[in-house]
Amino acid sequence: MMTYIVFILSVIFVVSFVGFSSKPSPIYGGLVLIVSGGVGCGIIMNFGGSFLGLMVFLIYLGGMLVVFGYTTAMATEQYPEVWVSNTTVMGVFLLGLLMEVMLVLYVLKSEEVGVVFKFSGVGDWAIYDTGDSGVFSEEIMGVAALYSYGAWVVIVTGWSLLVGVLVILEVTRGG
Amino acid sequence: MNPLIFTTILMTVLLGTMIVMMSSHWLMIWIGFEMNLLAIIPILMKKYNPRTMEASTKYFLTQATASMLLMMAIIINLMHSGQWTITKVFNPTASIIMTSALAMKLGLTPFHFWVPEVTQGISLTSGLILLTWQKLAPMSILYQISPSINLNILLTMAVLSILVGGWGGLNQTQLRKIMAYSSIAHMGWMTAVLVYNPTLTMLNMLIYIMMTLTMFMLFIHSSSTTTLSLSHTWNKTPLTTTLILITLLSMGGLPPLSGFMPKWMIIQELTKNSSIILPTLMAIMALLNLYFYMRLTYSTSLTMFPSTNNMKMKWQFETKRITLLPPLIVMSSLLLPLTPMLSILD
Repeated sequence: MMTYIVFILSVIFVVSFVGFSSKPSPIYGGLVLIVSGGVGCGIIMNFGGSFLGLMVFLIYLGGMLVVFGYTTAMATEQYPEVWVSNTTVMGVFLLGLLMEVMLVLYVLKSEEVGVVFKFSGVGDWAIYDTGDSGVFSEEIMGVAALYSYGAWVVIVTGWSLLVGVLVILEVTRGG
Repeated sequence: MNPLIFTTILMTVLLGTMIVMMSSHWLMIWIGFEMNLLAIIPILMKKYNPRTMEASTKYFLTQATASMLLMMAIIINLMHSGQWTITKVFNPTASIIMTSALAMKLGLTPFHFWVPEVTQGISLTSGLILLTWQKLAPMSILYQISPSINLNILLTMAVLSILVGGWGGLNQTQLRKIMAYSSIAHMGWMTAVLVYNPTLTMLNMLIYIMMTLTMFMLFIHSSSTTTLSLSHTWNKTPLTTTLILITLLSMGGLPPLSGFMPKWMIIQELTKNSSIILPTLMAIMALLNLYFYMRLTYSTSLTMFPSTNNMKMKWQFETKRITLLPPLIVMSSLLLPLTPMLSILD
């Protein structure tokens, strides 16, 4: 099973995405988001990226999703929609599940997936071994490069987030 | 809206387009598109009523889908070339997906359905920004990937856009929808010549922006959003009736006005590349556009359109001061003799 662990985790990932895309109430959407975040962390870790995986847990699940959960709990309705309460939601969920099952069968039968383009596995993050200062991993170096060479990206992303907050406040405030 | 917040959001729209046009990393281009989309939503919703909210939602959904398709094309390109630089797209699948995504952003057929509905639901100034500034960013990306665009798909979309832009505008009396269909047709002309000579795409974009800017400013000046209220211009400011006539005929592509320049150059470039039927069809379908522009000029400038008696004595509070209207009118009608200066655009 361990040779196929990434594949199993990615299937759970897609199923939880289908779970919240079929639009139940946001509380249940947040629930499957937690599952998908944890599973995504597992996928990243299997490629050797322990730092980024823990970053997902800490910042995404522990920061953003907690705030999302609290705001949804404040704005929830009396009878929130589950996947089985509404025919449409259940239908879309089952359709997504069906498509995922068919994709899994297709992948298991043939070595590579050739739907629109050929896709046969991804590589790992490279690990550098400098003699004197120890072993570096590429993903941590990527984060370090973001804050040094990629300062413009940080500026643009920070500004986008600020403007996002301003836009949301403007839109919800109305006239 | 608070003026400080409004200025910040407007500057962010500008910043988003600038980032798209200046970046060499695909991810930054995508970030620029998203920043542009996010910041223009409150500008579209300046007046807070259900129509503008619906129009903003439609705009957001279509543009977000286009951004997702663009991201998918970027990742396929990354998989097949291993680098993020925007030089050319290395995989035909990625190229087709990227062309479709940018066509959705521009409003080319078959992704044109949002343009009239969104333009109709928002105010005239927001519609102006939507139809001119928002076309710059996708067109700049199309310009940069033009060597690797699939010719068949782009030409099909272009010709169908010219047809839909002409045909769809025939039954309209609302001015914003007329401008939206005009935008669809002009985008078709621009993308038709993109693979052959991208400089002419830029020329067409320049002249189209000038003409659309002029038209919208004339509409804002008389606060008219329907053909009927435009036909009362003779009562408010008689001079603008002539200006509306000249600008509309320029948009229709009649010589000796500026609007003829891009059409002439595009047809010449297409015939140089041994395609005769295509520019003939495009020129014939541009006649549909010309028809509804002429209908507007007929009711506005060429006749005193029938109206009730109390409409003949209109008054308004004070004339809106429209910036740069005279230079724009001059530029959108008298630029044809400057055609030999095209060589500076290379």
